[in-house]
Amino acid sequence: MKPVPRSRRRPFLVEGLTALGLIVAPYVLPHLGFAPNTVNQILVWGLFGLGFDILFGFTGLLSFGQSAFFGSGGFIAAYLLTQDMIASVPLALLIGTLGAMAIGVLVGLIALRRTGIYFAMITVAIAEMFYFLENSPLSAWTGGENGIPGVPTPKIDFLVSWHVGTGWSMYWFLALCYFAGIVIALRIVRSPVGAILSAIRDNPLRVAALGHSVGAYKLTAFVVAAGYAGFAGGLLGVLQGFMPPDAFSFDTSGQLVMQTAIGGVGTLFGPLLGATVWLFLSEFLQTALHLGSAWKLVLGIVFVLLVCFLRHGLIGGFKDLHRLIFRRAEIDVEAPEEAPVPVVAKAVALPARHREGDLDSGPILTATGLSKRYGGLLANADIDFTVKVGELRGIIGPNGAGKSTFFKMLTCEVPPTSGKIVFEGRDITGRSVTEVCQLGLTKSYQVNQLFSRLTVRENLTIAALADLRGKFRLDLFSNLRKVAGLEERVEQALELVGLAARAGTMVSALAYGEKRRLEIGLALATSPSLLLLDEPLAGMSPRERVETVQLLKSIAKGRTMIVIDHDMDSLFELVEWITVLQEGRVLTEGTPDQIKTDPVVREAYLGGVHEP
Amino acid sequence: MFNGLVLGALLALISSGLTIIYGTLGVLNLAHGAMFMIGGYAGYLTFTATGSFPLAILGGALFVMVLGVVMERVIIRHFYGRPHEDQILVTFGLSIVFVEAIRFSFGSLSYSVPPPPWATGVTSLGFMLYPTYRLVVVGIVAVALLALYLVLYRTRLGMIVRAGIEDSVMVDSLGINVFRVFMVVFGIGAMAAGFAGIVNAPVVSLTPDMGEMILVQTFVVVVIGGVGSFPGAILGGLIAGQILSITSMINPGYAYVMLFAAMTLVLLIRPRGLMGLRSRD
Amino acid sequence: MVANRRTFLGQSLAMGAGIGGISAGGWGALGLLSPAWAKDEPPLGTWPAGSQGSSVFIGITVPRTGTYAVQGEDELKGYQLAVEHINAGHPLIKAISPKTTKGVLGKEVKVGVADDGAKPNQAVQNISRFISENKAVLMTGGTSSAVAVALNKLAQREKVLCVVGISGSNDTTGKDCVRYSVRECFYGQTAAAGIGPVLLKAFGKGKKAAYLTPDYTYGHTVQKSMSDFLNKEGGWTTVTNQVSPLGAPDYSSFLLNIANSGAEIFLNINWGHDAVLSIQQAKQFGVLDKQKLVVPYQVPFLAREVGGNLLEGVYAATDFWWTLEDKYPLAKQFVAEFEKKYGYKPEWGANACYMQFAMWANAVETAGTFYPPAVIKVYESGAKIQSTVGEVHFRPEDHQLVRPVVIVRGKKASEMKGKEDYWEVLEVLPGEPLMQKPDAFGCKLGDYS
Repeated sequence: MKPVPRSRRRPFLVEGLTALGLIVAPYVLPHLGFAPNTVNQILVWGLFGLGFDILFGFTGLLSFGQSAFFGSGGFIAAYLLTQDMIASVPLALLIGTLGAMAIGVLVGLIALRRTGIYFAMITVAIAEMFYFLENSPLSAWTGGENGIPGVPTPKIDFLVSWHVGTGWSMYWFLALCYFAGIVIALRIVRSPVGAILSAIRDNPLRVAALGHSVGAYKLTAFVVAAGYAGFAGGLLGVLQGFMPPDAFSFDTSGQLVMQTAIGGVGTLFGPLLGATVWLFLSEFLQTALHLGSAWKLVLGIVFVLLVCFLRHGLIGGFKDLHRLIFRRAEIDVEAPEEAPVPVVAKAVALPARHREGDLDSGPILTATGLSKRYGGLLANADIDFTVKVGELRGIIGPNGAGKSTFFKMLTCEVPPTSGKIVFEGRDITGRSVTEVCQLGLTKSYQVNQLFSRLTVRENLTIAALADLRGKFRLDLFSNLRKVAGLEERVEQALELVGLAARAGTMVSALAYGEKRRLEIGLALATSPSLLLLDEPLAGMSPRERVETVQLLKSIAKGRTMIVIDHDMDSLFELVEWITVLQEGRVLTEGTPDQIKTDPVVREAYLGGVHEP
Repeated sequence: MFNGLVLGALLALISSGLTIIYGTLGVLNLAHGAMFMIGGYAGYLTFTATGSFPLAILGGALFVMVLGVVMERVIIRHFYGRPHEDQILVTFGLSIVFVEAIRFSFGSLSYSVPPPPWATGVTSLGFMLYPTYRLVVVGIVAVALLALYLVLYRTRLGMIVRAGIEDSVMVDSLGINVFRVFMVVFGIGAMAAGFAGIVNAPVVSLTPDMGEMILVQTFVVVVIGGVGSFPGAILGGLIAGQILSITSMINPGYAYVMLFAAMTLVLLIRPRGLMGLRSRD
Repeated sequence: MVANRRTFLGQSLAMGAGIGGISAGGWGALGLLSPAWAKDEPPLGTWPAGSQGSSVFIGITVPRTGTYAVQGEDELKGYQLAVEHINAGHPLIKAISPKTTKGVLGKEVKVGVADDGAKPNQAVQNISRFISENKAVLMTGGTSSAVAVALNKLAQREKVLCVVGISGSNDTTGKDCVRYSVRECFYGQTAAAGIGPVLLKAFGKGKKAAYLTPDYTYGHTVQKSMSDFLNKEGGWTTVTNQVSPLGAPDYSSFLLNIANSGAEIFLNINWGHDAVLSIQQAKQFGVLDKQKLVVPYQVPFLAREVGGNLLEGVYAATDFWWTLEDKYPLAKQFVAEFEKKYGYKPEWGANACYMQFAMWANAVETAGTFYPPAVIKVYESGAKIQSTVGEVHFRPEDHQLVRPVVIVRGKKASEMKGKEDYWEVLEVLPGEPLMQKPDAFGCKLGDYS
C-alpha cells in the first residue's frame, strides 16, 4: 500500500475526519447495536493495531508476537497502579509504554536478524516465552493466571478535573488516546522515516544499497509497534479494571493479525475497522443468531473468504468500489506510449555533491588483487583495477567473465575472497553497501531494482533522502515535504532522466525503457562521486539505446562513471577507456579504437553473444 | 531420554510433511496442526465403523490427503502469486475453520481410540516400564518415514519434488507441470500429518484443540532441522524430543519454553537450520 | 422485620388485586405491584434500571470452546433449567425459594449466554457487555477459578451481584473474595479436609504421595490443602509434585517421574480434559497398576470420558452425585427434571449452577427487592436454605456456602446398575467442620456501595 497521501489543499483532512468520527460515534453506534464496552474495546484494539500496521502494513514485517508488548505494557502499568507506586493513571500508562518499547528494542535486536517466515516464527516463539514467564516464574508480580485486578480508572486533575468512570465516560478518555495515537501515527507515516519504511517493504536490498541503514529503520518500526502495543495494553487494564493474563497469549496476537487483515493492511484504520467487524460479528453471531459454540466457525469462514477475495481488506474493497463507481483513474494503468525523452539540455543539473574527502584528481578507486570464489568456482581472480577522477570507463567481456561479480564487490554488496578496494583514499574492503553508498559509490542495477508500489517521484525521494539525511535519522515527526533540499533534488533527478512528466505514475505502470531510466535516476539521486552502471542498455530497443547513451553522456559531466555493457557500439561511443574481462581476469585494457581491433579480444568473443 | 525418542519420532513425521510443503510450495501451512487433528478424528470414525486399527490408520491418512489436495486446488493455488503474508493468513484462517468445524460436528467431549489388542499394556524395558503402544508408534513412524524416503529419493516423482524444493521455477521451465507437483506434495505432506494424527490417537484422547500445540512444536522442529530438508525434519524431530524429555526430568513446566529458546538460538546462529538448503528469503 | 411485613403486605395486595392481572398475561401486572421500599436509595450498579421493567436479565459466561468446554456446557444446562423453573414457578424452585410465585419478584428472568473459552479477559468482556447493554442484575460464570476471580473483581467494581459457578480455588472466597460474590460449591480446603480422613482410613498412615498439579491457582491451592492435611494428620510424605501446564498434550514426562518416584498414592489434581488425558496416560504408563489413584476434586464427566474402568476404586471428593436422590428428596426431583429435559443424569456442575440461581431467587424474594446490598444482606443473614444436599446456609464472613462434601469411590463395572452409575457415595460429610476459619485465607469483603 502506498504511504497515506497528504493533500496539499487539505492538509489535516484525515485527522479532522477521525476527530469527527470519534465525536459522533457515541451517538450513532448504540443505534447499530454497539455496547459502550464494545466500542471501548474496539478503540483499544484499534490503537494496538496502529503500531502493528506500521510494522506490517508499511514495513512488511509480519509479527505474530505483538502480544508480548501488549502484555508487558499492560502489566507494568497495572502493577504500578495497584501497588500504589504511581497514583496517576496517565503516568503509569506512559511508563508502561516506555517499558514495552525498551523490551521491544531487546526483542527486536534478536528477532530482526531474520526476515520473512523466520522472523514470524521467532516472534511466535518469543510471544510464547513471554506468556510462560507471566504465568509461572513472574507470577508473584503478575498474579499468574489471575492477572492483576483492581486497576483504577484515570483521575485527571491537571488543567481540568476529570474523573473517568466506566462505559461512555471511559469512551471519551479512550477516544482521546486513540486520537493522539492516530495523529502520531500519521506523522510517522508521512515523515521521511515512514517513506523509507514503505520502501523497505517493497525492496529492502535496494533501500540498503541507496544508503539507508535498513536494520536501524526496521528496529524503529518494531519499537514503534511495541510502544503502541504497550500503550494499548495499559488501556485494556484500565478499561476492564483488571489486567488479564491472556493479553500475552498467542490468540491475542493472532486476533490482531486477523483484524488488521480484515480491515485492510497498510491503511492505519484497518485495525480499527477490523476490530469493529470482528467484535460485532462475535457478539452478533452468539446473541442474535444463537449459534452457540459455532460462532467461531462462522467467523473463521468469513475471515478466509475475506482473505481470498478482498486482497486489501475491507478498506481496499471500499476503495475499489469507489473507483469503480466514480471511474476515477488515479493510476495510469494502461501501458502508455513512451514519453519522448526531453532535450537533454538540463544536463547541468545534479552535480556530484562534494563530500568530505572528495577528490578532484588522481585515482578515485583502486582495486588490488581482487578475487571472489564461490565454492569451487573462481568468479574473479586477482583483478587489479584503477579509475581516475572524472574518467568514463567501460568494462566488457563475454558471458561468465565475472563483470557483475566485480561490480558487486566494488559496491561491497558481496565481500571479496581476497584483495583490497580503496575508494577516495579510504579502504572500503569488507564494509557494507550502505556505508559505501554514503561515501559516494553507488550502482545502477542490471535487473531493475525499483520500488514497484511507489510512484516515480517517491522512488527518487527515497534515494535522495539517504543522501540528505545520512544512513539513519530518527526524524519520525518531520514532514517529508519539509526536508531541506529534497524537492529540489528530486526535481533535478526527474529532469535529468526525463521522467518529469511521469513523476506521479506508479512504477508498475511504466514502460520498460522508463523503468531503466528510473533505475539510473535512483543511483544518480544519491549524488555519487563514482557511479557504476551495470548494463544500463539491457533489453532496450535501438532508439532507446541512442537516447540512453545521450543521457549517460550528459550525466557523466563532473562525475566518474564505470559502465558494463554488451552493446559494444554504444559503449565505444560513450567511454574513453575500456577494461576487458575474461573468465574472471583482466584480459586487456585500452581505448575503444584499440579494443575494437584487438585480436585477443576478438578471439575471446568468438562464439560469444551477438547483440540483439 | 528414551521418552524423547518416542516424542521425537512423531514430531519428525509431522514435521517432514510441513517441511516438504514449505520447501516446495513456499507456503507455510498453518493448518498443518489442524490436519493432524482431523487425521485422528477420521481414523476414529473409520475405527468405529470397521473395528480395525490398520483400516483406521488408512482411513485417517487418506482422508487428510484428500483434504490436503482439495485445499490446495481450491484455495492455496490462488495464493501462489500473492505475498507470503497472505498465504500465512489464509492457512491460519483455514486452521481455525477446521478446528471449529470438528468441534461443531463432534462437540468438545474427547474421544478415545484404543490401541490394537496386541499393543496394549506395558513393556518392561529394564530401567523403566513403558507403554507398549508408544514403542509400537516408534516402529510405525519409522516405517512411514522409510516409505516417505523411498518416495522422495527413489521415485521419479520424488526427484521432481526434491528438485522443486531447490528451485521450483527451474522445474517449471523444464516443462514439468509444477501445479500438479504442488498438488501432490501438498497431499503427501497433509497425509503425513493425518497419518501421525491417527497413529497418535491411542496415546492422547482426541479433542478439537489437540493440533494447536503440535503445530508450534512442528515449527520448531522444521526450523532446527532446516526448512525443506527431509532428513533435517527427522533430525530436528529427534532433537526436539530430547530437549522436551530432558528438560522435563528437571522441571517439566519449562520444557516447551526450552524448545522455543532452542529454535530462537538456531535461527540466530544458523538460520538455515542444521541441514537446510539456502534460505528462501 | 419491616421488610418482611412490607413484602407480605405487598404480596397480599398483589395476590388480591392481581389475579385478574395474571390471567391477563400478567408479567407486567405482577411486576408493577412488587414493593419498592428501597426506592429512596441512590442508583447502584444496574439498580434500579435493570429491574424496572417486566423482566430481569442475567448474564452468563461459560466456556463453550477450549479445555473446559464440556463442563461449561453442563453448567449452562443447570442454569437454563433453573431459569425455566423459576419462570414457571416450579415446585422444586419453590422448595428452595418458598416465596417464589412466578419469576423473581414477579419478573420474568431472561438470560444472555456468551462463550469465554475459560479466558478471564473474555469473561469480563462478556459480562461487561451484559451489564451495559442489558442492565444485568446478576452475573455468573466460573469453571476456571481464574475466571471466577476476575468476575469477582468485576462484580465489586460494577456493583452487580455475582454467583460463582464452578470454582475450586481457595482464593475465590479467600484472598480474592468480594462483597458482591457468593460461592456455592466445595473447594480445595473442604475437599482436602473431607477426603483426607477417608484416605487415611483406607490407606493408613505414613504413605508416600505423588501429586500431578495443574499450574494455576486452583491446582496449587488444592495441592497445598491436600498435602498439608495428609502430611500433618497422617504422616504422609510428598515424594514428588509434578506441575503441568494447563492443556498439556502429553503427560509422559510427568508420569515417568511419578512412576519412578516410588509413590504409593497418586493424587491427580488436574481438571477438565487435562484430567481425562492424564489419567488415560497414567494407565498407559502403568502408573495406575502400581499406585492408587485419588482425584481430590472431581471432574464432571470424568468417568464417562476416561472410560475403560480406569476409575474403579478411585476415591474422589465431589459436590453432588445423582445417587444422592435416594437421600435427599430435592435431589431426587432435580435429577428427575434434569434427566427429563436433557436425557442424562446431571453432573455436579449442573447442580451447583441450578442451586446458585435458585438460592439467588430465594435471596431476592426474601429481600423483597433487587437492591444489591439488601440481597447481599439476606445471604449474610445465614438463613437456612433447603437444597439438593440438605439444609445449607451462607457464611457471612466470606460468602461461602456451608454445605456437605460428598466422598465417592469409583464402582467396578460389574457393580454398576445402569449406564451412568459410575460412583458409589461413601460419605456425605457436613461442611462446617471441614471449612477453614473465616479469616484464615485473608478474605476481606469490600464495601456494599
